[in-house]
Amino acid sequence: MISTLAHRALERDGLGRIRDQVMNRERLSEEDALRLFEAKDLAALGALANHVREARHGDLTFYNKNVHLNATNVCVASCKFCSFARPDDKTASEGYTMSLDQAVEHVVSKRSLGVTEVHIVNGLHPDLPWEYYTETLRRLRAAWPELAIKAYTAVELHFFAQRFGKTVEQVLRELIAAGLTTIPGGGAEIFAPRVRRKLCDDKATADEWLEVHRTAHRLGVKSNATMLYGTIETLAERVDHMARLRRLQDETAGFQVFIPLAFHPEHNMIGKAFPKPTGYDGLRTYAVARLFLDNFDHLKAYWVMLGERLAQSALSFGVDDLDGTVLEERIYHMAGARTPQALSEPQLHRLIRTAGRVPAERDSLYRLLKVYDAPAPSAQAPSLPVVA
Amino acid sequence: MSKLRAAAVSFLNARPLYAGLAGSARVELVMAEPSACAALLERGEVDVAILPVGALAGHDYELVPGIAIGADGPVETVVLCGDEPPQAWEEVFLDTASRTSVVLAQLALAGMGLTPRFTPLPAADGIPQAVGRKGALVIGDRAFDVQGRGGQPGRKKKHVLDLGRAWTEATGQPMIFAVWAARPGVLTPEDVAELTIGAQRGLGLRTELAAGFAREVGGDAEHYRRYLTQRIRYGLGPHELTGLETFLSRAAQAGLLPETQLRFADDRIRSQRTRRRVSLDTALQKGADGERLDADEAEMLDEKAPLLELGLAADARRRALHPDGVVTYIVSRNVNYTNVCTTACHFCAFYRPRGHAESYVLTRDQLAQKIDETVALGGIEILLQGGLHPDLAVDWYEDLFRWVKSRWPMINLHALSPEEIWHVARVSQLSLDQTLDRLIAAGLDSIPGGGAEVLDDEVRRRIAPLKCSTDEWIEVMRAAHQHGLRSTATLMFGVGEESRHRVAHLLRLRGLQDETSGFTAFICWTFQPEHTRLEPGDNGAHAYLRVNALSRLVLDNVPNLQASWVTMGGGVAQASLHMGCNDFGSVMIEENVVSAAGTTFQMDSEEVERHIRDAGFTAFRRNMRYQRLEAR
Repeated sequence: MISTLAHRALERDGLGRIRDQVMNRERLSEEDALRLFEAKDLAALGALANHVREARHGDLTFYNKNVHLNATNVCVASCKFCSFARPDDKTASEGYTMSLDQAVEHVVSKRSLGVTEVHIVNGLHPDLPWEYYTETLRRLRAAWPELAIKAYTAVELHFFAQRFGKTVEQVLRELIAAGLTTIPGGGAEIFAPRVRRKLCDDKATADEWLEVHRTAHRLGVKSNATMLYGTIETLAERVDHMARLRRLQDETAGFQVFIPLAFHPEHNMIGKAFPKPTGYDGLRTYAVARLFLDNFDHLKAYWVMLGERLAQSALSFGVDDLDGTVLEERIYHMAGARTPQALSEPQLHRLIRTAGRVPAERDSLYRLLKVYDAPAPSAQAPSLPVVA
Repeated sequence: MSKLRAAAVSFLNARPLYAGLAGSARVELVMAEPSACAALLERGEVDVAILPVGALAGHDYELVPGIAIGADGPVETVVLCGDEPPQAWEEVFLDTASRTSVVLAQLALAGMGLTPRFTPLPAADGIPQAVGRKGALVIGDRAFDVQGRGGQPGRKKKHVLDLGRAWTEATGQPMIFAVWAARPGVLTPEDVAELTIGAQRGLGLRTELAAGFAREVGGDAEHYRRYLTQRIRYGLGPHELTGLETFLSRAAQAGLLPETQLRFADDRIRSQRTRRRVSLDTALQKGADGERLDADEAEMLDEKAPLLELGLAADARRRALHPDGVVTYIVSRNVNYTNVCTTACHFCAFYRPRGHAESYVLTRDQLAQKIDETVALGGIEILLQGGLHPDLAVDWYEDLFRWVKSRWPMINLHALSPEEIWHVARVSQLSLDQTLDRLIAAGLDSIPGGGAEVLDDEVRRRIAPLKCSTDEWIEVMRAAHQHGLRSTATLMFGVGEESRHRVAHLLRLRGLQDETSGFTAFICWTFQPEHTRLEPGDNGAHAYLRVNALSRLVLDNVPNLQASWVTMGGGVAQASLHMGCNDFGSVMIEENVVSAAGTTFQMDSEEVERHIRDAGFTAFRRNMRYQRLEAR
């Protein structure tokens, strides 16, 4: 149920029918999603999305303990929104490539921190051999058998297939054999060809991206899906993007979570032309995604990108997942993100609890590891000035 | 009920701490020498005492938070003196009246590379013997004499080393000499409140205390007044605590005192009020419809209502009050004319003691540059606020305001929070009305609502013991409104207060607004804890949006609500536009207080307008009275 106030506000905005469809668990059309994007009343839109979120997950708010590995920033693609990629390994261009030993050590050194997942995303390096990738996974798997390895976006997997003369299925089978657990959702950007042509015309197309995920799902590998918003795309193109994901999900049910990503404007080719999308745009995008993507179980707000304050607010707009402690993020920070490099688990718990939610640690496959349902710390004041 | 027995010393500098306790039904005063205070407390003959900090060592006494006797820089009343300079001294007589000063003297001389022989000797004997290559420690009121400023001019000594000055020069920190300390577990929250209120009253009596002291022992009453108001600091905030900890740890390192961990008396009152049962839905609907909410309804909403429900109700109110979908903002510059402040609030990362290396008072040149820049950016207002500087009296402000108004007649002078106006009145020995009349005649246009923090004395005593009380804050605002000034009203929360405190705050503001209609707008924000020593309560974005929405519902007579993007960022501020706010505050040309506490969001007018438009509203510039300006 939603409250009378929300019910009336949606009615006033001409969203009464959409509201009733959501309450009856009926699927929304692409036009409906567009109407929701253009809704005037953010709080009412949030209330509707929150209804869906609470129907699925109650107050549970998921996170995991993960470490990021960006083993190289050298990339042959020239995506105009990217601040991370460099053309070569030379010091002058700030390019870097970790050796296998460095990459493995980067991850294994976090072992004592309770990490359960490594998130690996790299540039499309022109020279690294196939064995670099399979060996990274194999060595990590050998050194740390219980670690979940979430590795290589569809764009990288597609690149591997082309560069090493393999099919996508071969690429995936070899990586699975080497230790792959899941596939991250990056590289989706915006599927619309108009946008891809302008922003990133030299990497996997929308169909190629979707085909990689379809193949992975067929091989039993779960994956995530992202959307980069706030560049040149129209609202209709955002809806089209989500619609393509929803269709594939109907087919495979292999996506675990949808993750909208805000464009960050610093240090890239188009930052001057496009300011960072505002927080309002983020909140409505979460809400619409929660309402439209009825076959996605989870919706993630990436706090590294949003900042802690907006991420906490997003928990009332459909979001049920805050990513994780995120050790050593590079990609967003090179685009000007000013968030901390990591949040401690108590900090995450506080963020979740003070939003009236319940922290729930998950693993890479969204299996619940632990619910921290202890009552929120009492509202009682720390009664004294703290003397360190 | 038996009275709390409190030992106090007769030294002039201690009098403001207890003068306000005369006639207290709760506290009985026992007068003693500083070292005797320590003995009385140790033997349990008194419950609490004004204790030299050295006597804390080795005990588990509890401090009354927020108040102390200290100095940052010269103190005048803890000195070494002699006929020759300290470098020539072979023997120094140490007045046995206070162990703290003895330790400080030894640390100070060691810091100067001097190692004379120390001989304990009562001051009455030590001073006459401090001749030739001998020096003496003199503390308390006798020290006025050896500097020729007391009632016995004949006792002046040729060389005087002020130990307050020596300490601050060596460490860059204030020196804390004495605190109210109690036997553990003895003080009730009411006792702490009584001692704090006593100090507040006593600090208001400093002029009278100085005059009385001059009658008692001779000397210049005005000099004593300046000593009490400018030399001695009575706040115990973060800087002062750092100074106190440094003193205790250096004394421990030098083997002069045992290691000491500071403890504080719990000042929280856990009074419980029985609350009427109210329905959440009814209260929300009442709020959304603009009906007046009572304290029970407001507290229940504060504690129980989900964010979006509060937000929807507040949005309904915003639509009713501002139906045309306009969100306003002002181009204004926040200028902090000084960071010198004697209040030492626990939540403040901005203030510096006078004489601190980072302390400042802006010069006219600096101010002119800031105002010129503001005008060049289309600014129409200067928000002028500062610390409570002990040297700045009403004529300083009059000169400043006249100068601003003559050079920039178009600029709205939005200046001096109620706390500062009280301070100006006190320093200038004027009534509130006289002070306001003079400031208005000099060009004051309107008043910012800062320094309200939480208008509930339970909370104020804990986070800002030396700040004006709730009644005083309200009194200044009432007077200002009656003098024709308009003001804003604020709330800083997330300092560990409870919902009843926040609601009490809103109801006080609503009550005054019923009387005067002088508030143009309300702004809330959360406590920003970096570089401060106060543990935050719930100060996140979720709490901000909830309290902001609640405020829109409770403050049914305040026309405008400002979003605080400076503390929350643009995105959360946009959300607040959909949950009660109709104003985006000011573009930020400069801000020092919040940024000192670690928050650094920035926006120019283009960015402010983009945020307003993107959130679905029409942007308009406004002036301080919320009149819309011509579209550019």
